[in-house]
Amino acid sequence: MLGNLFSLFLTACIIDNIILSKFFGMCPFLGVSKKVSSAVGMGLAVIFVIVGASILTYGLYYLVLVPLELEYMDLITFILVIAAFVQFVEMFIKKNSPSLYKSLGIYLPLITTNCAVLYVAQQNIANGYNFAEMLVYSVAVPAGFTLTLCIMATIRERLEFANTPESYKGNPITLVVAALMAIAFTGLAGLV
Amino acid sequence: MKELAPFLYIVGLGCLYGVGYYLNHKTPVPKGCENLKADCEGCKITSCENHPIYDLSKGEKI
Repeated sequence: MLGNLFSLFLTACIIDNIILSKFFGMCPFLGVSKKVSSAVGMGLAVIFVIVGASILTYGLYYLVLVPLELEYMDLITFILVIAAFVQFVEMFIKKNSPSLYKSLGIYLPLITTNCAVLYVAQQNIANGYNFAEMLVYSVAVPAGFTLTLCIMATIRERLEFANTPESYKGNPITLVVAALMAIAFTGLAGLV
Repeated sequence: MKELAPFLYIVGLGCLYGVGYYLNHKTPVPKGCENLKADCEGCKITSCENHPIYDLSKGEKI
């Protein structure tokens, strides 16, 4: 059981990395990977939101949608629940922890539109995970997102001082680096 | 009643989001965090308030 959970974590976090193999969450990946501090803040906020939203959507699916035979409404349910969840989390942080709001709050509106959150919520249902698997998957995917974002941020900080051709500056060189990272990550495919 | 369930369900979720949005915007931003911006440069949509050239205080592009 533990071995299965560990291999699920490794697969979701590194081998099937959400950015480099699924191409989800590209917008924050390109937008908020200029500084390591921003990348860490965004990554922590994504982990928090994905875990919270996954628990909520998983519970809602099996406790409300399935008994009412409304499984076909899962997509719209997940979208609304995620959007509402982010609003309440932002309000809670604003009221109770200004320091946390300072470091994470600005990224919360960005996460509402992050397709990775919806992807994880849907995969938990589509793959038929039990509660433990759902928790592991919901932590592993944003952990992989954070890892990739931080690696990219360290590379981009160094790229600032590199002699990059004018036409490659900005997003083009970032996408070239992302492609090289994706190739490197595919080398881990036989790990599990 | 069973036919109405999906409709009522969506209305309920929509209301939940509406209440969350209203309460969140009513909650004052903590001191020192008024002009925080993510400065996201992921795309060229300058009407997005996360884009660096969007001025939050005026609510318009600068």
